[in-house]
Amino acid sequence: MTPYFYKAPVLTLEGISMTFEGEVILRDINAQVLDVCRPDMNQGQVVGFYGRSGMGKSVLCRILAGLMAPTTGRVLVGEQQEPVTPGAVGFVQQRYPLFNHRTLHDNLLVAASRKYAPEEAQQQTETYLERFQLTAHRKKYPAHLSGGQRQRAAIAQQLLCSDHLILLDEPFSGLDVAMIGEVKKIILEVTTMDELNTVVIVSHDIATTTALCDRLWLLGYERDTNGQLIPGATITADHQYNLAEMGLAWHENVEAEPEFARFVEHIKDEIRM
Amino acid sequence: MKELFSPNARPRRVVFTTMVAAQIMLLLLLWAFYPMQMLPSLGAVLRALSELTTSQGLIPELWASMTTALQSLAVATGLALLISYLTALPFFRPIAYAASKMRYLTLTGLTFFMAILLSSGHEVKLTVLIFATTVYLVTGMTSVILTTTQEEMDHARTLGMSEWRSFWEVVVLGKLDDMLEVVRQNFAIIWTMITLVETLYQSEGGIGLLLYKQNRYLHLDGVVAIQLVILATGALQDYLFGLLRRVFFPYSELTTAR
Ligand SMILES: Nc1ncnc2c1ncn2[C@@H]1O[C@H](COP(=O)(O)OP(=O)(O)O)[C@@H](O)[C@H]1O
Repeated sequence: MTPYFYKAPVLTLEGISMTFEGEVILRDINAQVLDVCRPDMNQGQVVGFYGRSGMGKSVLCRILAGLMAPTTGRVLVGEQQEPVTPGAVGFVQQRYPLFNHRTLHDNLLVAASRKYAPEEAQQQTETYLERFQLTAHRKKYPAHLSGGQRQRAAIAQQLLCSDHLILLDEPFSGLDVAMIGEVKKIILEVTTMDELNTVVIVSHDIATTTALCDRLWLLGYERDTNGQLIPGATITADHQYNLAEMGLAWHENVEAEPEFARFVEHIKDEIRM
Repeated sequence: MKELFSPNARPRRVVFTTMVAAQIMLLLLLWAFYPMQMLPSLGAVLRALSELTTSQGLIPELWASMTTALQSLAVATGLALLISYLTALPFFRPIAYAASKMRYLTLTGLTFFMAILLSSGHEVKLTVLIFATTVYLVTGMTSVILTTTQEEMDHARTLGMSEWRSFWEVVVLGKLDDMLEVVRQNFAIIWTMITLVETLYQSEGGIGLLLYKQNRYLHLDGVVAIQLVILATGALQDYLFGLLRRVFFPYSELTTAR
């Protein structure tokens, strides 16, 4: 078993609920991500986030990204655990939006300039272009990029200006096997780049996502004592899984392990409930 | 040949150009050899054209109208952009709404009002044109702004841009090419109006006045000749706008289906 220990929290969801015109969508969500440490390496955090369509995953994402204020509760981010503001959390939306009127290079530069002085921004842009294999396409406009290139560009753009926390909404949808491999590599790279880097993955591809995670959240409905569904989705304590504890995190080829397959089946059953 | 009649086909450039040339030739031949009752013959129109050019100053008149049109268009574009961008602030939304509804005002009534307010004919002419163009442009421009999606705005916000900066990046910079397209489409409206306004304020001439005179003396060949000149000018303008768009917004062609 890999040795690991936990330090301070990097992301906290505190009593979050969301109501739209009297309709309860999210109810009292409490969850926390701690900075996980492994000896002799930079180990960031990967959180998988599942839930049936229409339950409110996108709403929770927007709340996590600070784009929308919850009806109650708050989101705390970073080592300082400050309330989230827009821009503090990188958010790669489903269709990987970029600025269509800017070239790929300028898309990254405009993001880098949010955080760095001009010279440094230029340098960071080059580094990210290189790291995400985009240098050859730097002069192209987003409309001329392939889906995979757009996605890499969108991830790079968010990384350039956010502090450690990044949300990926459906990063594997519509990708072929080779591309999924590429995205997995990028996510691994991001999480090993910095100790504090934390990636939250919202996905329907449970096996792929679980293989990358050290923590899982399952959004679902609770039943009251009479067996009636309580309105508003939430993440109950037993729907928060610690994969490091279960010995399923950070394995090279975890998808081949029977233990892992059983766990994925269990998760799928839980989602179907 | 077959591909010329199959939907969404993309014939080769040569084939397509040849086809267009053939269609124009056919039209001209029909016109030249089977003169229709109501339309003057091709020869008569060409004669009228050269007569208009040499003795009635068609070119300078055209130029005069064109500069007036461009002048009003420039001012109207500035005004319309301002009004539409200001819709970001709820306070200014009623203005854009009202401006857009003013499309329904009639030109003649408007001219009357302006004539009372302003002293010189030139001013009335310009003001009427600017006003009428602005209201059409505002309508088109606000609908462009309304195409902004939550996703686009969220994208800018997640990069830590302030509300104003997000608006600038997504709505102003991101949609300039669509705005140019709105201006191009509405330029034609100026031409319809300018011919009318010029007949109301005859002191300054213009191609509208020329057209009006030809009409009055029932010079049908002259009327057709001037209409053709206006048509050609319009086509040229459209082309120039397309060129501008390609030069300044190279990305905008990329997303449209070809
Ligand atoms: N701005 C909003 N106003 C009202 N209802 C909303 C709003 N945003 C989302 N909802 C509702 O919240 C529910 C969850 O939506 P969403 O988060 O998109 O689901 P998911 O991403 O899990 O598929 C839906 O029933 C939707 O109608």
